[in-house]
Amino acid sequence: MSDVKLHDIRKAFGSLEVIKGVDLDIKSGEFVVFVGPSGCGKSTLLRMIAGLDEITSGTLEIGGTRMNDVDPSKRGIAMVFQSYALYPHMTVRENMGFALRFAGLPKAEVEKQVAEAARILELGPLLDRKPKQLSGGQRQRVAIGRAIVRHPNVFLFDEPLSNLDAELRVHMRIEIARLHKTLATTMIYVTHDQVEAMTLADKIVVLRGGLVEQVGSPLELYDDPANLFVAGFIGSPKMNFFKGVVSAVNNGTVSVELPDLGGASVETRLQATDIAVGTAVTVGVRPEHFEDTGSAALNLTIDMLEHLGGETFAYARHGSGDLVIIETKHGRDLKTGDTIQAKFDPARALLFDVGGKRIR
Amino acid sequence: MLSDRTTALLSSIATYLLLGFVSFLSVFPFLWMAIGATNTSIDVINGKPTFGSALMTNITGFFTQVDVPLVFWNTAKIAIVSTILTLAISSLAGYGFEMFRSRVRERIYQFMLLTLFIPFAALMIPLFIIMGRAGLINTHIAVMLPVIASAFMIFYFRQSTKAFPSELRDAAKVDGLKEWQIFLFIYVPVMRSTYAAAFIIVFMLSWNNYLWPLIVLQSNDTKTITLVISSLASAYYPDYGVVLVGTVIATLPTLLVFFLMQKQFVQGMLGSVK
Repeated sequence: MSDVKLHDIRKAFGSLEVIKGVDLDIKSGEFVVFVGPSGCGKSTLLRMIAGLDEITSGTLEIGGTRMNDVDPSKRGIAMVFQSYALYPHMTVRENMGFALRFAGLPKAEVEKQVAEAARILELGPLLDRKPKQLSGGQRQRVAIGRAIVRHPNVFLFDEPLSNLDAELRVHMRIEIARLHKTLATTMIYVTHDQVEAMTLADKIVVLRGGLVEQVGSPLELYDDPANLFVAGFIGSPKMNFFKGVVSAVNNGTVSVELPDLGGASVETRLQATDIAVGTAVTVGVRPEHFEDTGSAALNLTIDMLEHLGGETFAYARHGSGDLVIIETKHGRDLKTGDTIQAKFDPARALLFDVGGKRIR
Repeated sequence: MLSDRTTALLSSIATYLLLGFVSFLSVFPFLWMAIGATNTSIDVINGKPTFGSALMTNITGFFTQVDVPLVFWNTAKIAIVSTILTLAISSLAGYGFEMFRSRVRERIYQFMLLTLFIPFAALMIPLFIIMGRAGLINTHIAVMLPVIASAFMIFYFRQSTKAFPSELRDAAKVDGLKEWQIFLFIYVPVMRSTYAAAFIIVFMLSWNNYLWPLIVLQSNDTKTITLVISSLASAYYPDYGVVLVGTVIATLPTLLVFFLMQKQFVQGMLGSVK
């Protein structure tokens, strides 16, 4: 186990800077997930930690040692790749033991390590097969096994479940969580799948355009996003945003009018004292925060319904044309074209300034 | 107006006729060579289209006129050594050009590809002068040197390397391999079908090479099979039965290599990595 520290890490390809100064402190044994849209730099950051991409500037420390110029094999890391990256000409046993054999470990020791990893991952019957004789899930288990035998201080996962079907993905997600519990090793995991991020992470790092937007526990990010981007990125379906104008401020209570929604208004309490009447803001309400009761209400017409069995997502429009997504338990009674009054508790609404920064 | 079924039938017949004609064009020279090898020289000249009874006479004639073990040794040595060297140099270059891209390397690569447009005939005289100055005329090294750095094979290996997963290289780096070890222990085994296809192509070209050996190999003890057969055919009274037996014998090693590596050849042409 090792902690990982990134200090002002930057990566540039010529004049194009793709990682623009990342500071991060990952504690020993923590499961950290990097999320963000395509091209945000999450995989590049992981590859820089692995030593597969050079660090242009900044400092990377693993276990208290500066690792910027250390060979990938000597960083105490093991990596699991999206495409598994198993050597196709070797059997499962040879794949798993390759790094150890190459490092000069005695054959008996390699066999012992491979057998132990195979036991943990239930790969015993597959040890003499070639990768092409395995299913996607089995290949991914071998890739994880190959990482385990190295006894790394830090596990790096680069979208390891992206190539699996939905059912297998859930299964492997649980296996990875169990593995983390068993090994208690520091794990850094890159994904664009929010469910993976929310369920696996001790800490989520949201990246955009080569910068960290917010770091926090999954529920912290969900309940208390620092800005409009994080609020919109975390949560599925995404948070609804409405344009508003502050119409009154009274002893910490702020009234916001929503002109695009027929002048509906939201009244909420804030800690901020410097907000003035007339300030343009964005109001965010999560789909599941629409309920049967609440002092704020929107009149909407249902455009489309998505029945998921337990709940329903209603895609509804206001007269102005804005799309609002609502999660409801009463979806079976609704049909397209119905007019509904969607209510919510204004205390659950989040406010953001024109720059997208959260107003608390 | 023809029905769809009739149109499909006519189209099918036309396709098979065309395929049959092309197959005949491909097979006929081999058939004619095999028939000629069993006939006397007069029968070959007269164009006798059926198998004859002079096979053993022709074989005896060929083995009497030609030092077969020496000629085969010369040809095999040149073909095998130059094939191995071509594969080693071209695959290293193709791997390097693909894995270590830079603007300068791209320019060098493009310049190298331009050399494919220069006909060998234009290079013969300068090459002969170079070999002469290096004291290599009438040596097998002179036959091998101009072919071992093949622009076409570098192009072929670079194109094939595009299908080599970059994550395998990354995984190998994490496992502690240096670049040359990745090439040797990961790239070469993974790309073995590509190597097999390249081996067949280069071996056949080298085995059948005629023009350049004709220029640089001058004494009988250094000559290859193509030169020997050519000299038999250009005698004052050529025995075409013997010449065709020689041609059949000369074809056997390349046929053997092809049939032994046929599966890998097809895989290699389709791409080693799937």
